[in-house]
Amino acid sequence: MSKKLLNKTLWVYSIYAIIILVVAAPIFYFAIQRLYVKEADDTLLLHRKEFTQYSLPTIKETEISTWNRFNRNVEITKGNLIAHDSIYAATFYDSLDAEVEPYRVLEAPMNIAGKAYTYKARTNLVEVEDIIKSILWLFVTIIVFLLFGLFFLTRQLSLNIWKPFYKILNQIENFELDRNTAPRFIETSVQEFNRLNNSLRKLIEKNLTAYQIQREFVENAAHELQTPLAVFQAKIDSFVQKTDVTQEQATLLIGITDSLARLSKLNKNLLLLGKLDSDLYQEKEPLAVSALLYKNLDFFAEQADSKNLKIEINESDKCNIVAHPALVEMLVNNLFLNAIQHNIESGSIEIEVKERYFKISNTSNSKALNKDKLFTRFSKLNAAEKGNGLGLSIVKKIAELNHWEIDYRFEGDSHSFTIKF
Amino acid sequence: MKLLLVEDELELGEIIQGALIEMKYICEWVRTVDAALDKISFFDYDCILLDLMLADQNGFEVLKELKRQEKSEGVIIISAKDNLETKIEGLTIGADDYITKPFHISELIVRVEALMRRKNFSGNNIVKYNEIIIDVFAKTVLIHNEMLDATKKELGLLLYLIANENRVLSKAAIAEHLSGDLAEMLDNYDFVYAHIKNLKKKMNAAGAGDYIKSVYGLGYRWKNE
Repeated sequence: MSKKLLNKTLWVYSIYAIIILVVAAPIFYFAIQRLYVKEADDTLLLHRKEFTQYSLPTIKETEISTWNRFNRNVEITKGNLIAHDSIYAATFYDSLDAEVEPYRVLEAPMNIAGKAYTYKARTNLVEVEDIIKSILWLFVTIIVFLLFGLFFLTRQLSLNIWKPFYKILNQIENFELDRNTAPRFIETSVQEFNRLNNSLRKLIEKNLTAYQIQREFVENAAHELQTPLAVFQAKIDSFVQKTDVTQEQATLLIGITDSLARLSKLNKNLLLLGKLDSDLYQEKEPLAVSALLYKNLDFFAEQADSKNLKIEINESDKCNIVAHPALVEMLVNNLFLNAIQHNIESGSIEIEVKERYFKISNTSNSKALNKDKLFTRFSKLNAAEKGNGLGLSIVKKIAELNHWEIDYRFEGDSHSFTIKF
Repeated sequence: MKLLLVEDELELGEIIQGALIEMKYICEWVRTVDAALDKISFFDYDCILLDLMLADQNGFEVLKELKRQEKSEGVIIISAKDNLETKIEGLTIGADDYITKPFHISELIVRVEALMRRKNFSGNNIVKYNEIIIDVFAKTVLIHNEMLDATKKELGLLLYLIANENRVLSKAAIAEHLSGDLAEMLDNYDFVYAHIKNLKKKMNAAGAGDYIKSVYGLGYRWKNE
């Protein structure tokens, strides 16, 4: 799935932030805890040192019980169970808070008046836990603030920095090769975007030139072919007039004239497409689609008769549009003839005219047609087809020029074309 | 009948002139507007066939000169330009008809014939062929003085065939005469056969001669038996 450029950066930031939080928090917690335990141990050792230094030389055996009574955290017991100082963690029940609390305990051997005693000091770690928790919260808050700030700043900054980029993107999206107007890119303050602009400008210019050349070539070629084709046709005609042709020659001549007719038709269609491409049909006028439909209905009815087709026209609403009449006529004629030519014997044609809507459907024994290829120039969906594959691309082009929506559908056994004006 | 062809395309000019002469017209051919202006100032013609895009000037100049000299020649424009504006402009300046290149010679002939009838027989536009009498204005056909029940299309077809007597008319040419530009879109000309068949049947029933001959698969020809 593709994301927006901006979100992509922020997405990476967010993941990084989460990882840092997850990894750093426990590390931080344990590090602080260690530090504090060490601090507690140091304090215990310091207290013992002070005891040895100041209290031990003067303390008497009889004072020990008194000492123990007033020092909750230091206890001197008789007997020497250990040889060296040792510090360990232990838990004691605190009757004040009525809960078990963690402690660090120091035990050290001691000599009082020549007798062996054990010095035992302890320090509570509860406050440590609280401090660690507070520090952790502080730490998390700072990180969260930092990341949110970063997030927001990046967003704002990116929005500003990428603004020209989105503008360029929009311009390219709206650019159409056959519309002949290249987008004008505005100079930005970012070097890379200017480079992008320049390359795009060059690319578009080259494309436009190439397209123009190609279009002119097709147009000129078609135009230049017209005269030789006309001469060809006229010469064959005069040959037929002057000679008493035999059956054999006639068959050959029919082949030639058929091909010639197809060539002429192809050439005319190419000329027309050329004209459509150059947008020569600018003048528009209000017209009724049905009027253009009825204009040539006799002709189409005649053609349909040879296949014994039934034509049904439903005009539930007037379809009044503003367009070039010749183009609309061409569009309707092409679709109508298409419906006749690809129909079956004794089939039917249904035409529906509504407001801003024209639909023509015909029965056929072929399956659904490939929508992608249908409107492509020279695409023949059926190799045996006699047409030149330009009829529907002309229809498509006319629709495109007028920003009409054209759709093909296959329902049941009927193919239908819909134009939404 | 005397025609002037103004056409700068060498091969096309030759063919048109050749075909017209074969149809027993007198046809002169010039290739520039200047030459055409020379000709019309010295001679009278029944009809001028005028190309518009000529090497030296626009063919419209000939039309303007004819108007200035108040000459009554019929003019048929033959042009590769098939846009409506040019057509309307030509007809406004004084042309009588307009035919777009490429065209079938037979189409040109039937147009010339129609123009001549309009020019020469004022108000009485009648075509006669043996037992057949066609009143073009009234759109009626008489065979042996009996009214033939022919459709508008069949009447047009009949006129077309008679005007092109002895010429082989291809199905494409007939289709174009019957349906105009729309015929270009067609893949087959079956409807031509249907029209010819109907016309033949009606004429047969009315006792007319069997003039319409099929020339193998090439087309049809009107021929006096």
